[in-house]
Amino acid sequence: MSDPRLSDPHVLDQPWRIWASVVVIGILLFGAALGVLIIPVVQGRGAGIDMYTAICRALGILPGSPAQPQPATVSPPTPVSQVVWTPEVLQILARGNTERGRAKVLEVCVACHGEQGVSVSPDYPNLNGQSGAAIYKQMHDYRTGSRANPLMTGIATALEEPIIADVAAYYAGQPKRNPNPATLGELPAPIVRLVELGDPNRNIPPCAACHRPGSGGPIETPILSEQGHAYLVQQLRMYASGERRNDVYARMRTIAARLTPGEIDGLSRYYSAGFR
Amino acid sequence: MRNVERLCLAHFWVAFAAFLVAALLGAWQMWVRSPLGANVGTPSQYFLSVTAHGVAMAYVLTTFFIMGFGYFVAVTALARPLPGKAWAWGAFWVAIAGVVLAVATILTGQASVLFTFYPPLTASPWFYIGLVLVVIASWVWCVLMLVAMQAWKRENPGRPVPLAMFATVANAVMWLWTTVGLAVELLFQVIPAAFGFIQTIDVGLARTLFSWTLHAIVYFWLIPAYIAFYTMVPRAAGGRLYSDTMGRLTFILFLVYSLPVGMHHLLMDPEHGNGTKFIQVLLTAFVSVPTLLTIFTITASLEIAGRLRGGRGLFGWIAALPWERPMVLATGLSFVMLGFGGFGGLINMGYGMNAMVHNTSWVTAHFHLIFGGSVVIMYFAIAYEIWPRLTGREYPSLASLRLQLWLWFIGMMVMTLPWHWLGLQGQWRRVANFNYADPIIAGWGPWVIVSLGGGLVLLASALLFVGNLFALHRSAAMAVARPLYALAVHPPQRVPAALNGFGLWNVLVLVLMLMAYGWPIAQFVIEPSPAAIVHRVE
Repeated sequence: MSDPRLSDPHVLDQPWRIWASVVVIGILLFGAALGVLIIPVVQGRGAGIDMYTAICRALGILPGSPAQPQPATVSPPTPVSQVVWTPEVLQILARGNTERGRAKVLEVCVACHGEQGVSVSPDYPNLNGQSGAAIYKQMHDYRTGSRANPLMTGIATALEEPIIADVAAYYAGQPKRNPNPATLGELPAPIVRLVELGDPNRNIPPCAACHRPGSGGPIETPILSEQGHAYLVQQLRMYASGERRNDVYARMRTIAARLTPGEIDGLSRYYSAGFR
Repeated sequence: MRNVERLCLAHFWVAFAAFLVAALLGAWQMWVRSPLGANVGTPSQYFLSVTAHGVAMAYVLTTFFIMGFGYFVAVTALARPLPGKAWAWGAFWVAIAGVVLAVATILTGQASVLFTFYPPLTASPWFYIGLVLVVIASWVWCVLMLVAMQAWKRENPGRPVPLAMFATVANAVMWLWTTVGLAVELLFQVIPAAFGFIQTIDVGLARTLFSWTLHAIVYFWLIPAYIAFYTMVPRAAGGRLYSDTMGRLTFILFLVYSLPVGMHHLLMDPEHGNGTKFIQVLLTAFVSVPTLLTIFTITASLEIAGRLRGGRGLFGWIAALPWERPMVLATGLSFVMLGFGGFGGLINMGYGMNAMVHNTSWVTAHFHLIFGGSVVIMYFAIAYEIWPRLTGREYPSLASLRLQLWLWFIGMMVMTLPWHWLGLQGQWRRVANFNYADPIIAGWGPWVIVSLGGGLVLLASALLFVGNLFALHRSAAMAVARPLYALAVHPPQRVPAALNGFGLWNVLVLVLMLMAYGWPIAQFVIEPSPAAIVHRVE
């Protein structure tokens, strides 16, 4: 097939190789010179930033923009909870030992929360099948004073962190009770709507945005289904009044303060009914 | 050859079945976000639907269509049998298995993370594994395209590879580069997180790796449209391609400049320095060059056709073009949408203007107009053009083909132009519903309804498209064999190796990628940022 008229492709190709490389790399170097040298240095001069810092900022080695002085650090924040979900904390949670947890439960928790997490009084929360992270966070908050309760503060303060994880793991592993869909059917539509869609007019997000399992809410979000009605009402009221304040970013305080007493009651009934 | 036709049709039908389902979901999404359907469905259902819509349109429609089209080009442009046909079928079934896995996880609500993933949101691992299978299948396709071209070159030493195949291989090479970012993100970050092997994820790194893929993937979708512009449209219009060299340069420029530019998707992300963003935005500006070359070359080719058909004067040749032919009509409509969409793209590219439209409906409208509009309408035109060649049958009438193309154009313009406007008003994207009782948001309502109207026209067009193909399968008329690919005004006799292969360009892509992404990625390893806790949506 070779055609004698065809010149050597290698010779034909040489100017292409050279010029394509020159143009492409030239554009690249032009961009780099402008983007990480000239513009940052000129901008930095105007903002009182030295040449070296400006170039490092343009490269992303130092934080901040070469065009603006870095704002001074604001006053340190005081978190509402001391729990930080670092990989180490997650490891402690993952290593929770249910056998040790059960022993501690029989020793301490059983009197109120029951051996299987079904509480003896409607004022105490059910813990069976609760998320381990949620139990851990609340116990930790009791220890550090982020949340206060005449009974729980003393008990939690006496427990070490790994034991808290054991107890959380034990209760998280207890089976849920049977749901009662019949009760759910009697709930008024506005309450179901609040759960599913919230109320945008009042800036209330849907409860299900966080409290439905797998919805992508914060890791410490508790599972609410089959929780005691009286306990839920009490906690929502405490959030609304600001008496309870260990919710990060004041999420629950903000929402609860916007709910009417009727809605607090309705939502508590919705979640106490249980559903899956 | 029969087997290859079956292979192509299998790919195309999967692509268009996914397209039809996604079009239905898209119309439903427009409806529930409008004042007419406000509060229909829950946010979970909405995000499930958006995930399904995105996966079907962006991964299934495109990948299957491009693979099928590539096999078709390899056989018809090179006029030789497809090498590795068994591999091609194997890849097809792997991709099908991947789609089934992904769809199953989406429908069971375990994967509502949208097609762009957004870690630390984490879906079921099987969702990502399904998508990885689709990518692996596409890699097999890439290798087959390279093998086919090399075999042809061995049989035809010194001769220029036909432009359609050269462009297809450019796309395959680009896709191999493109998928590296996505593959690294999925295999080393997202899938281990989804399985629970790791508890935290470096979101900045994940987003940077995704940006590597995110812009070039768009050109992967777009190149079939450009292949049609260069190799089919001049012939369909009754003329010749103005310049074969322009075509080669265009596809090479797409390969070179589509990759080191992804950071313009991260202009508002804090983890990268202004200087590296500047370099990538400058390179982004050069991506407009191949599109401008194409507009010029194809317009010149159409002018040749128009004048051959007796068109006179400065613009008389436009009226003389055979607009009744679907390929010519689709090209005209595609160019109009490309004009609007390209203009919007220039806004997104500028750092300051991007800050104004960031995370608003403007962006959603932009990619619907440019991909759903100018690219997908060419997918229709390609399908209409090659379906008779695959089935041996002819359309009973071209009128319903033209109607479908017009409906798609009108629907897309009516849907996306108000959508752009809403973005400028500040309408945010990625939300399930709007509170139209709010006085500011209430003003958006009428425009959202107009947009919904466009969406319904698009749905009608999608149904008609599939209907047209069904009608062809049932048609009694036999197709008449006619040439498909256009000749150039000066058909190339010899081209430099640089315009006949990709060795040089791969080296330049490597240099560009090292400069553009070397430090931005290395910084995450040198100085790890605080990682985010994985959030599972299962």
